[in-house]
Amino acid sequence: MDVWSSLMDGFATALTPMNFLYAMIGVILGTAVGVLPGLGPAMTVALLLPVTYALEPTSAFIMFAGIYYGGMYGGSTTSILLNTPGESSSVVTAIEGNKMAKAGRAAQALATAAIGSFVAGTIGTALLAVCAPIVVKFAVSLGAPSYFAIMMLALLAVTAVLGSSRLRGFASLGLGLAIGLVGMDSVTGQRRLTFGQPLLADGLDIVVVAVAIFAVGEALWVAAHLRRTPLHAIPVGQPWMGRSDWKRSWKPWLRGTAFGFPFGALPAGGAEIPTFLSYVTEKRLSKHPEEFGKGAIEGVAGPEAANNAAAAGTLTPMLALGLPTNATAAVMLAAFTSYGIQPGPQLFESQGPLVWALIASLFIGNLLLLIINLPLAPLWAKLLQLPRPYLYAGILFFATLGAYSVNLQAFDLVILLILGALGFMMRRFGLPVLPLILGVILGPRIEGQLRKTLQLSAGDPAGLLGEPIAVGIYVIIAVILLWPFAFKLIRRNTPVAAPAGGAAALAREADDAVHSNHDAVYSDHKEQP
Amino acid sequence: MTPLATGLKGRSELGVALLLGAAGVVVFLDANGLVTPYSKSDPVGPKTVPFIVAGMLVACAVLLAINVLRRGKGEAEGGEDVDLTHPADWKTVLPLAGAFILNILLIDWAGWVISGTVLFWGSVLALGSRRYIRDGLISAALSLLTFYGFYLGLGIALPAGLPEGIL
Amino acid sequence: MTVVVGYVPTPEGEAALTQAITEARKNNSTLVLINSSKGEAAVDTRFAPEGGVQDIERRLAGEGMQYVIKRPVRGHDAASEVLDAAEEHKADLIVIGLRRRTPVGKLIMGSTSQRILLEADCPVLAVKAG
Repeated sequence: MDVWSSLMDGFATALTPMNFLYAMIGVILGTAVGVLPGLGPAMTVALLLPVTYALEPTSAFIMFAGIYYGGMYGGSTTSILLNTPGESSSVVTAIEGNKMAKAGRAAQALATAAIGSFVAGTIGTALLAVCAPIVVKFAVSLGAPSYFAIMMLALLAVTAVLGSSRLRGFASLGLGLAIGLVGMDSVTGQRRLTFGQPLLADGLDIVVVAVAIFAVGEALWVAAHLRRTPLHAIPVGQPWMGRSDWKRSWKPWLRGTAFGFPFGALPAGGAEIPTFLSYVTEKRLSKHPEEFGKGAIEGVAGPEAANNAAAAGTLTPMLALGLPTNATAAVMLAAFTSYGIQPGPQLFESQGPLVWALIASLFIGNLLLLIINLPLAPLWAKLLQLPRPYLYAGILFFATLGAYSVNLQAFDLVILLILGALGFMMRRFGLPVLPLILGVILGPRIEGQLRKTLQLSAGDPAGLLGEPIAVGIYVIIAVILLWPFAFKLIRRNTPVAAPAGGAAALAREADDAVHSNHDAVYSDHKEQP
Repeated sequence: MTPLATGLKGRSELGVALLLGAAGVVVFLDANGLVTPYSKSDPVGPKTVPFIVAGMLVACAVLLAINVLRRGKGEAEGGEDVDLTHPADWKTVLPLAGAFILNILLIDWAGWVISGTVLFWGSVLALGSRRYIRDGLISAALSLLTFYGFYLGLGIALPAGLPEGIL
Repeated sequence: MTVVVGYVPTPEGEAALTQAITEARKNNSTLVLINSSKGEAAVDTRFAPEGGVQDIERRLAGEGMQYVIKRPVRGHDAASEVLDAAEEHKADLIVIGLRRRTPVGKLIMGSTSQRILLEADCPVLAVKAG
């Protein structure tokens, strides 16, 4: 399959007037919702899912491409203007970005973030277009045992590596797998966990689960701890950059991209690590290290590029293998399945035109983002004045509407409320939500591969190790799972407190910067005597 | 206070362990109740994975309980609009859930325009807005707009319910 | 004697503050400045930023007058905050700024000024932006 000609076909599909319009709507909706405080990209995509129901899959995914990048962009705008990073990946952007804005350089901070996102997004999407077919070519040669192993790796890596408590990660994964079990068993037709309820026989709709966990759970959680103080947004004009800003930005953009893409493509790589790495690198390499912590433009340009490149990287395993590695990709994958499209390596074969139209519209969405959003930045900042009651009532309203319109049955709303309460509880007690959603999506597919594998080996568990790649992946899984224990042993044997990972220390340093930043902002609100 | 009560104080996280354990038991019992003849083409069968999941849930429940009793604590999630310095505000959350439940009860009978208005209005009030009339007008407008928007724009007919003849 | 002024960082608010300073100087009154926010939105442009408040403090100190600056954020609307402050400080005069509003706009938004005018126990001086 020739990448170039497929991509050109993709552009031909994506550039038809109607599809171009959908891309535009996606970018605008995505940014608008992403700018709103409290709404990250995953919730944005989940809430906007129903809007795409009536569209044919190609148009819907073109719109998603816009929503995805738009949501990311909106998030970084808020973190620069308000110093409230909604996602862990924009924490770093907020450090220098908000300092710049406070020093009267909001326009430049927004500009370097927007242009950097564009550069990183475009390079990242190009890498995606090149890498994904290669991954697919490799993946189609794999059999069920290897698939089983790869999916196990994706699940366990996310559960064990991300989050502060592995135990709570596994608890969340277990709940997700249990939810994924509900419904008819695909092989024998037996009903599992349906409790005699016929409406459960088809399983829980993944869209309903995603909306419940990401939108309802989050809205209830925020409502319980609603901040009642206003923040001071920094007024913005038209974003622009001077010549010296360009000179200081372009290298960080490229380096950030180089950090971001590979991490995004790895299971459990995510965007946090590359943004921190980029920040630290820029601080080291900068000719103005004294400006760091006071609003250095490199500290916005690099991490923001890394963040967007990671977003593009995330799409590689998602499109090529059907493996979501972050929450947003998980929700997009849910959208695939709700269109009856089976994600996996066969996707490029069976849905080639759709996939390439999606990739093409990622390029287009990126460009639109730059053209539309730079002039609109002051307008987006106005959205922050929406009263919180309307904002969170609106999330509940649209979440309900979206979940209901999937099947038009009130029963789904009961599920929505129950799982929303579960999402609330998980946030309260520090259970990460990502393993749950991955468990729901990947659980049934893992079971399918497991049964296929053992069917081929006639029930012999050794069949699981039937392919060399599977064996290799199990070794990686073992390393990931045993790493903390090994780490403990090593530390016990080296009494001198060896630097426990330079990255961790630096992360802490950056973290402190954010917190002191926060304190500075919030101390403004004390009532004057 | 009895020693048990003191021991349990501030350990509401044990409830999570209990929930995990209960979920594990339910998954186990449900899978155990499946009747499947052994089949050569499906040696794993529909029971194996549920058994593994049940085991995992119960194991997590036990470990979490131990962790909590040893003063382990899950970190509540922060966020842009989250202020963790004050305790959970049930006076907001419960009315919100109430509005949500009212919507579920009303939607098929009274229709989306009415139930959606109730949902949004109730939620806004629960969240502390006190401009009753303006909120009501906005709620009704939002429900009408989504009703027609879904019908005309997306071809999805939300239930019209009581005002069926008018809409 | 006490003068209470409802302040917002807009031309109307500035006009009200200037007028209130003039009134307070006439008979050496204490100036009580109220700038409140309901704290509902993430961003409230009617809530003065720290820098703006410091400028006002400098200005009032420069005038050599007695003043109190209050910036309550407790979910009450601006009218209640001004009325509460007037009662608490036994105000002799309330100064507020007026905005132009269409009849429809007033119907939907309600009016802070109207509530203060109707409910205050002391004279109210309403100023328009110059």
